[in-house]
Amino acid sequence: MLDAVTSLFPWITNGPLIAVQVMSGLSVAMFLFLVSVGMSLIFGVTRIVNLAHGSFYMVGAYLMVTLVETLPQHQAMFWVALFVAPLGVGLLGGVIEVTLLRRIYHREPLLQLILTFGLILVIGTLVLIVWGPDNKSVARPDALAGSVRIFGQPFPSYYLLVLGLSPLVAIALWIVFYRTRWGMLIRAATVDREMLGALGVDVATLYTQVFIFGSWLAGLGGALSAPTVAVALGMDGDVLTTAFVVVVIGGLGSFAGSFISALLVGELQSFGILVFPAVSIVLLFAIMAVVLIVRPWGLLGRPEE
Amino acid sequence: MRPRLRSTLAGIGVVALLGVLPGPDRAAAQPKPIKIGEINSYSGVATVYTFPYKEGLAMATKEINDAGGILGRPLEFIHRDDKLKPDEAVKAARELTLQDKVDFLAGCISSSVGLALSAYAKDAKVLYFATHCQTSRLTWDDGHRYVAHTTNNVNQYVRFAARKAATLPIKKWANISPDYEYGHNMWEEFSTYLKKLKPDVEFVQLNWPKLGETDHSSYITALLQSGAEGLFSSVWGAQSIAFVKQARPFGLFDKMRYVAPSVGNPDELDPLGKEAPIGAITNPFAWYDAGLHKRHPKLEAWTKKYTEWATQKGLKDPQPKLGASWGYASAYIIAEAIKRAKSTDTEKVIGVLSEGFEMDFPWGKVVMRGCDQQALPPQWIGVVKLDAQGKPIAADIEEVQGKEVARSCEEVKDLRAAAAAKQKK
Amino acid sequence: MSSVRWLAALVVLVVLPLLLPSFLVVVMTEIAIVALFATAFNLLMGFGGMVSFGHAAYFALGAYAAALLVKQAAWPMPLALAASPFVAAAGALFFGFFIVRLTQTYFAMLSLAFAQIVFTVLFKWKTLTGGDDGILNVWPPPALKSPLAYCYFTLAVAGAGMLALRAIVDSPFGYALRAIRENPRRARFIGVNVRRHQLFAFVLSGFFSGLAGGLFAFFNGSVFPDFAYLNKSFEPLVVVLLGGIQSFFGPLAGAVGFKILETFIARQWPVYWPLFLGSAVVLVVVALPQGFVGLLQRRSWRIRAVR
Repeated sequence: MLDAVTSLFPWITNGPLIAVQVMSGLSVAMFLFLVSVGMSLIFGVTRIVNLAHGSFYMVGAYLMVTLVETLPQHQAMFWVALFVAPLGVGLLGGVIEVTLLRRIYHREPLLQLILTFGLILVIGTLVLIVWGPDNKSVARPDALAGSVRIFGQPFPSYYLLVLGLSPLVAIALWIVFYRTRWGMLIRAATVDREMLGALGVDVATLYTQVFIFGSWLAGLGGALSAPTVAVALGMDGDVLTTAFVVVVIGGLGSFAGSFISALLVGELQSFGILVFPAVSIVLLFAIMAVVLIVRPWGLLGRPEE
Repeated sequence: MRPRLRSTLAGIGVVALLGVLPGPDRAAAQPKPIKIGEINSYSGVATVYTFPYKEGLAMATKEINDAGGILGRPLEFIHRDDKLKPDEAVKAARELTLQDKVDFLAGCISSSVGLALSAYAKDAKVLYFATHCQTSRLTWDDGHRYVAHTTNNVNQYVRFAARKAATLPIKKWANISPDYEYGHNMWEEFSTYLKKLKPDVEFVQLNWPKLGETDHSSYITALLQSGAEGLFSSVWGAQSIAFVKQARPFGLFDKMRYVAPSVGNPDELDPLGKEAPIGAITNPFAWYDAGLHKRHPKLEAWTKKYTEWATQKGLKDPQPKLGASWGYASAYIIAEAIKRAKSTDTEKVIGVLSEGFEMDFPWGKVVMRGCDQQALPPQWIGVVKLDAQGKPIAADIEEVQGKEVARSCEEVKDLRAAAAAKQKK
Repeated sequence: MSSVRWLAALVVLVVLPLLLPSFLVVVMTEIAIVALFATAFNLLMGFGGMVSFGHAAYFALGAYAAALLVKQAAWPMPLALAASPFVAAAGALFFGFFIVRLTQTYFAMLSLAFAQIVFTVLFKWKTLTGGDDGILNVWPPPALKSPLAYCYFTLAVAGAGMLALRAIVDSPFGYALRAIRENPRRARFIGVNVRRHQLFAFVLSGFFSGLAGGLFAFFNGSVFPDFAYLNKSFEPLVVVLLGGIQSFFGPLAGAVGFKILETFIARQWPVYWPLFLGSAVVLVVVALPQGFVGLLQRRSWRIRAVR
């Protein structure tokens, strides 16, 4: 029996391989977390599922390309670009929230979904017009271009940056949500918006702030991942579907849920192709379907009504 | 319900009016143009390939028309966007044949679009020139007299890559290709031909990431454990760039020789920059290569002319990509077929195509083969290297004539028979 | 609608294809198919208050059923077409069972997830569905081949489908559905079995979506997995949005309007078409709550707007 298992999965006794695989899964998870938490946050407060979140991610990556190209060619400029690009996306999110989303908060949620879907088409075409159709790329900074050895296996150094940065972001987010007044307002808004308004809080401005923050997170995810993928048209769709699944599984509106779910999905994707190569492509959606059937509000979300 | 019916009727009325309104009219004095309905993907992700292709086509069309056109008539391409969807393409084909009354159809980049258009052409008895799409099924398995292919199919360049791979002292091969028709087709062609040339090769691992996969780290780790000495990959475009960027720091290309037909092209090499897979074997269109210029004296002037043309047209990257040469060749091949037939009559042109002919292009001779109406252009193999400025290019270019690597007419006949038998079941 | 108006409409539909040039006859056929799909979708959305983001799945199931029956089982085309909506309805019954237990956003998301699964199955089950190569050469029999003939055929079948949907909407079942949309709790109190009604509506919607899919398969001559993809699911949504959710004929008007826009704009500026479509969708949601058709009419609605 054991022989059968090891012959099917020859890597199962290979400790170093598993270790590297787990760490790869973790870095994937961290990217997913950055993108999904923004989407989850926006939903939690404003009750809008922002389908254009993938587009924000894409704009973040493209802005990273432009910044790296136009800033003086110096290694340190990479970090400047990484800092500025998400701000640009945050700005974009703010503009969209103020001009468009504000007018539809009172409408039924599905029309809001349709509007954000329309935004996908608009932003996607604008990216094509501004940056052109060619594939682009951002080089990793020299310091992180190589690899380190983990149990004798090479592991890309850049992923260590992601593995290091994301928990910092998670902790920073936790501090913001649970240790600041603004965070408290946000948590309150996820529970009961009307009451919050009744208590005299400017809910409209809070919504804008949350949307900007969520977009900023998506832009950070895009800028951070730019050196590991091709920056090209279509990257909005790819990330959206995965982020969507992560957010649903974790629970719309739950910060911790996004974290755990991102870890699950990241590791699942990492090991999925080794264990279930034929069905890995449908695995995520099957799990999402199961979660929606059994526990629609996700692992740590809040049941509606 | 009255107002609703009114607005519905209004809508229908507008449609009817549109049909009655005259389209752009040609001045009566000018000779009627020869119209080719060209269907391709001009929005979204495919534009990285179709924009240069369209400009190559346009440049050739202008040259042809400046020289007097075909049979004294100007050549005109009417473009439609298929949005990468076969049903949109068929819809456009209908519109072009019924409304615009085009003489022939052309185009495609997506293989499923090409196959759908080919099926439509066969049914409607309209001649269709497939251009940018690559599947060999177009003219082989599912081939028929109403379809011709003006550029190479996957078989030709992949076989040349396999020929090169067979010269290497490598026995164990692995594969990583996108999980769809094209990816499977490519691996199938590469592996069978390689096995034929070098029977002692072993295929140790096959990986099929989904088309457009962004994170390949699991596949890379699996590959590192496979014991392979050579890696074949038919990932292309953004996926190819992502794969190379991710695989490199894992040391994958130090462990195995990388054979990837598409990676040597500038739309993948340029973004990769210093992360390019040095030493990779690839099928590039190395328009800049000095050796190629020596072999084909007209190439340099052509690339200059195209670059100027594309810059003027506002293309952000005006260098002559492979697609540009394909567009250019397609226009000329269509024109030549009509010229030789001395008519735009479909049957006469098919007659010319079934006899076959040859044409000279700035990059070599293209043979339009008669038995399958398939183009056999020159094929190239190169190795990825860094030039003096540290920019990645394809170098050590070797060339072979298409017909040396393509399947023979006999093999094509067998393929068609096998496909027909499957249909009947 | 009075019988005079029905007769007038019928005459128009019979005469128009004869007057129009061939290409516009083809457009008309396509409009009929899209209108059927959108009306079936609107049974669920406008009248049932349930928005599905994965309706393309049933469209695709119908299309593939028709194609496979003709190619693999050698059924005659009319029979295959008649069977296709039943296959789609079966799919709708299976998926709908799970989907209707959810509300609003989650309903939409689960329908989306199921549609993606259908797409993936169609894509990967190469031996049955041909994978991304699709199934080719699915043509109607010679008698129905010409654009004019197939147009009349489609108008007849789609017309019958819409009449059936109309009857459903105007039946006691239809009114119970509206009641559920307005206030499920109250509906339950007056003895309406909410779940069963919603599931039945879902199945009926899937049935007619599948019929539209079958018609489309023979119209197009081939079927591909992307019939089940996300973009196709948004088509009826946009059409219904443009035409107006509230009325029965809104989707029809939306289909006509959408196709005109698409024909006019998408062919001239393919690069900008998604930009235009996206902007139009945004505009309609923000500024035109009743869709473009709402602009043409200033009557107040008999049915109160869905809140």
